[in-house]
Formats: sequence, C-alpha cells, structure tokens
Amino acid sequence: MLRILRSAGLGALVGTGLAFGGGVALAADEVTISHYFTGELGREGLEEIFSRFSSETGVTVKESPIGHEDFKTGILVRAAGGNLPDIFSYWAGARTQFVVDAGNLQPIDAMWAANNLDDVVSKSIADGATRYNDKRYLVPFGYHYAGMFYNTKVMADAGITEMPETWDEFLATLQTLKDKGITPIALGSKDRWPAQFWFDYLLLRTAGPDYRAKLMAGEASYTDDQVKAAMGLWKSLTDAGYFAENANASGWTDASDKVASGEAAMTLMGTWITGYWNGNGLKPGVDYDFFEFPTVDASIPNAVVGPVDGLVMSAKAANQANAEKLLAFLVSDQKAQAKWSQVQGALSPNVKVDESIYTPVMKRALETVANAEAFAFNYDLATTPPMAEIGLSMFARFMDDPSGYEAYLQEVEEGAQDVFEK
Amino acid sequence: MSAPLFRAVTMARRLDTGIMERQNTIWRILLLAIPLAVFSIFIVWPLLNSFYYSFTNWNGFNAEYDFVGLKNFSKVLTTRLFTNAAINTLIWMVAAIVLPSLAGLGLALLLDSKIRGANVFKSIFYLPICLSAIVVGQIWVWIFQPDWGLLNMAISAISGEPFTYAWLAKPGSAIYAVIVAWSWQQTGLSMVIFLAGLTGIPQDLTEVAEIEGATRWQRTWHVVLPLLRPATVVVIALSVINSLKGFDILYIMTGGGPFNSSDTLAMYMYNESFKKYRMGYGSAISVILFLITLTIIFIYFRQLKKVDEIYD
Repeated sequence: MLRILRSAGLGALVGTGLAFGGGVALAADEVTISHYFTGELGREGLEEIFSRFSSETGVTVKESPIGHEDFKTGILVRAAGGNLPDIFSYWAGARTQFVVDAGNLQPIDAMWAANNLDDVVSKSIADGATRYNDKRYLVPFGYHYAGMFYNTKVMADAGITEMPETWDEFLATLQTLKDKGITPIALGSKDRWPAQFWFDYLLLRTAGPDYRAKLMAGEASYTDDQVKAAMGLWKSLTDAGYFAENANASGWTDASDKVASGEAAMTLMGTWITGYWNGNGLKPGVDYDFFEFPTVDASIPNAVVGPVDGLVMSAKAANQANAEKLLAFLVSDQKAQAKWSQVQGALSPNVKVDESIYTPVMKRALETVANAEAFAFNYDLATTPPMAEIGLSMFARFMDDPSGYEAYLQEVEEGAQDVFEK
Repeated sequence: MSAPLFRAVTMARRLDTGIMERQNTIWRILLLAIPLAVFSIFIVWPLLNSFYYSFTNWNGFNAEYDFVGLKNFSKVLTTRLFTNAAINTLIWMVAAIVLPSLAGLGLALLLDSKIRGANVFKSIFYLPICLSAIVVGQIWVWIFQPDWGLLNMAISAISGEPFTYAWLAKPGSAIYAVIVAWSWQQTGLSMVIFLAGLTGIPQDLTEVAEIEGATRWQRTWHVVLPLLRPATVVVIALSVINSLKGFDILYIMTGGGPFNSSDTLAMYMYNESFKKYRMGYGSAISVILFLITLTIIFIYFRQLKKVDEIYD
C-alpha cells in the first residue's frame, strides 16, 4: 500500500496520476519489458525479434516502449511505485550501479551460468559492463563506439585523402575544410549529451583513462589542471570557428543531417548514427565513414568511448522464468543479435555472431574497439546520475559561450562536492 | 376536510419530508464521498507525502532513506539555481498575466467596433486556446528554429541579411520566447471575456460621451475601461491560475534549458527530482512552491470576493 501511495505521490509531483497503480498478476506465458528503443533507435527491428522469441517459446512479450529521454523519468516512477516490469533496458555503468544499490534488480548469475553466457559474451564487455557489487545483473544487448563520422565526398572534394591521426593533423584537416568554406564539425547539443563525447575524448587523450575514472568517481576535482587543459583544447576549436553555429539549437539527428547533406564535414557521434544514415539511404563506406578521435599525447593509452545498452531483471519480476528465457535469447540468439546490429547500428557483444553481418564501417568500428587499450563509458554513464546532470549542463553552457569555462568548472566542482559529499 | 383527516395528512407529509431529508443526507454523503476520496488519494495524500519526503534524502529508487531535518530547505534557499528559478517564475507570472490580458483587451476593443468580418477574426483569435499546450509548444519550436524557422526567415527576408539567432537555445531569450508562445495561446481567452464584458456596457453611455465631444480614446479610457472592471478581474484571476499551470509548454519548448536559464520553480523541482534523482530535495522545492501557490490562491479568492461584491 505504501508503495502505491508513494507512487501516487510521485504522480502528483509531475502533475499526473498515471503513476498510480499496483502490479497486475500476469498469465504464466507472458513476460513484461519496458525499453527506450523507440523510433530511430530500432523499434521496428525489436518487434521482429520479440515476435520470433514468442513463436519459438510460446511466451508473449508485453512491451512498453518509452522515448529515450523520458525513459529515465518513467522507470524511476515505476521503481518508486514498486511496479517495475520483469525486464527493462538500462545503460551499463554508473546508472545500473545506482539501481543495483537501490535494491531494484535481481542478480542473474544462475541464468548466466545455465546458458553458458561466458562463452557467448565478449570478455571485455562481460567484465566491464555486467558485474556490480560482485554479482552479475546486466545482459549486454548491444554496444556502441563513438567516433568521428564524416561525409566521404566532402572530405574528398576538399582534397583530404588521409584521415588525421594526431592532433596537429586534425587541426590541419579542420583548417583545410574551413578554408574551402565547409563547416568542419557539426554538433547537435540541444539534448546536451552529444557534447559529452568531446569532453570524454579530450580528457582521455590528455589526462588518460585512470585520471578520468577518478574524476568520474568524485576522487578528482573539476578545477584540476587536467580538466582545465582538456576544456582549453576544446575551446581552441570553438575559437577557431570549427564548430557549426547554434549547436544548442540542434539535436543529434540535425547534426547528422548536416553532415549527410554536405553542409558540414564530420560529427563526433556513436555508431547508432550508421543505423540512422542507412535508414536514410546512405551507403556505409561510400557516402560516409569514420576515423578515430586523434591522439593528443602519444604516451597516453588509447581509449575508446561508448555506451553499452543492457537489459536487467527487476528484483520482484512476476515472471522470472520467462524473463530469464528472454534475457538469454536476446544476447545469445545469433539471428536476434544480427538483426539488432543491422537495425540499430549496434555492435554485438555476442562473439559468435558472424562478422559478415556488419557493414564495412561497423566492421572497422569493431576492430577499433578490439584494438583499443581501454573502453570507457561515456560521461553520463560513467559518473553518477546527479553528477551527470550537472556536467551535461556545463557542456551545453560551454557550447553557448566557451570563454567562461574556468568559472563553469568551478561551479561544477561545487556541485560535485555536494553530490559526492566531499 | 375534517380535522382528524387534516391532522393525518399533515403527519404523513411530515413523515415524508423526514424520510426524504434522511434520504437526501445519505445521497449527499454518497455523492460527496466519491470526489472526496479521489481528492484525498490524488491531492491530499501526495501533498502530505511531499511534506514528509522534503525532510529526507530519498533518491526515488532506494527503499531506505534518512531524515535530514531542514537540510534540504537550507540547501534549496541558498543555491543559485533556486534564485534563478524563482526570478524566472516571477518573470513568467507577470508576463503571462500582463501580455495576454493586454493583447486580449486590445483585440476585444478592435473587434467590438463593428469592423467587417469581426466574427471570423474572433474565431481565428480564439482558435489557439482549443489546442493543447504541447501542440502550441511544438508549433513555436518550429517557428523559432534558427535555420528554417518562420520568424528568422521573415527577419532575413525583411533585412536582406541571413539571420540565424537561436531563440530557444540562448539563455537571454529562451524564457521570453516561451512567454510569446504562451501569450499567443492565452490571448484568445482574455479576448472572449473582454468581448462579453463589452456587450454589457450600455451604448447610451458611450453615445452621450460622444455627444459631449469626447474623443474615441477618451471614451475608451473614461467610460469603457472602468465599466470593464469586472471582466478585467476575471481575466486576471484566470491568467494567474493558468500561469501557475504553465509547465507543459515550457517542458516542450526548453525543458528549463539551455543550462537552467529558463527554469521556473516547477521545472527546477521536476529536474532535481526526476533527472538528478534527488526526490527529497525536489520535495522541498515543491513544498516551497506549494506555499507560494497557496498565497497566490488566497489573494485570488479575495479578488473573487471583490468580483461578487461588484456584481451584487
């Protein structure tokens, strides 16, 4: 009762009574799942995958998709009301840690062992994304790599045949494009998160993965010289006029459209951009390609950035057996994994998936991740959610007026001291 | 009718009335119980919960939490983001009351002067109020779009120079851009109330003033506007209530951004509670917002009493 009432309380906070409601007993052949894979994030493909699961197992999948940004709020309301679905999608890293610490998830070690998932899931993903507090909680469904995606024709027309590997080469490339009257970089930071990849890579390339991990855990300060240096480097790019104007007025798809149309040359984005572009008729490797974020200091280990989309089982799943079946199916069924990679532009955590399913661009992305010395979650998945909110707002503020970045960092550090109770 | 029969009929009537009274009371209780139960579950209990959680550090996910006393309130009242949201709320309320009221009054005066096609214009100006705030918000997001939005295209066409100002993405203009959209929608409502008020003004008075040599402006200022006072009170009271509910359009158009620059107290509370997972802290903001709203509603009821007195 208390949970129901608490849920009603939350509903009132957002001005809606929709949160009110208790759990409903389900038939034995059902499993409930809520996820954020809507629209361009692969909804259609997922329906097909669920349909195949149902026909193979006789278990009906009752799904409730919620838009990516609204999902963060929606799942909180359901958790507070004790009304979580059997399974829900969640981002591996600090966000999952947050929900695990709150006692909302059920460990899946037994299911993992019974389905021999150690032989199925790539070791680096299994080690880095699935275990929390020494237990396994998350099944990786797909993962992404953030790279510099560019329009091949625009680069060729500007005479750029070799993609930059070092910072100096990168600057030369940007200047060449600018001199030709092409906007070098598109960024759509309206929803703030697309700007985070710049901070992530600049900090990783200048201060290294160990320092970044400390900053994400609240063990370093946003006013440290390392952070200032990374932000300073970012500012040098904005000062030079390499970014398209009004970044905060565009979403990531707007920025992707600018690159696709040739209005801008490149955008730093996750591999889900390939799903979006392929859906719009662009040919991977022909119309677009990517290069790795350039090295700034050769002595610093090469790290790649990206998110792992996971699936977790709620602590009080009403249909545990069916939920475990679905979790195992989604990660181990090669056809499901192949389909998901194709529709979403995701890389498969399943090592048995035939690499021929990948486009040439995705195959290179896979190799890039495999060759990297470290895989880091992007900012809003690497640090705790309250801290991520503060940092993401700072990135958007930086894109509006980079000149005040040192003052912004001071404010972010004040927020960090509050969040991490330093 | 004989005396005994008369007494019997009177007694029977009294009995009937008594039974009916009792039945009425039962019906009153039954009929009131339903809305009261709904009101208690969805308004009173959550309200009490908000008070309760405002003294805790509950994050929304955890089953357990600690009591932190007045810590949330002291934090809220000393943070820069709260001051920013409070100032924005004040700007929002003043603008959301003044602009639609003035625009509605202007339109009502224009359309009441027997211009051709007045009824068509009345319908057109009233139309936005029939749309949901979400639809209005999305329409204005497109109008304010920097590269291909209607507003910037019009400015570019007039000035002959490309104009790409990002109205909703700049901290200096975001909240004002939302106020424009809000006013556009709400003006129709004010206009209709003022038009109703204008029909109640006797034509003799304006005619007499005209015969006495009063100009159109003097007639409006000294005759029409004083007689529109009851309508004005209704318009302002409704604007206050509507502006307090104006969360959805802000959520759609800016979400409180860019970087909190268009946060109102309601938006700030939402972001702290649901995005930063600080439900205790967000509850403290909602309690403060509740107290502010309570004060405004108290003033509103006093104004309503004044309206009654005017009509009486």
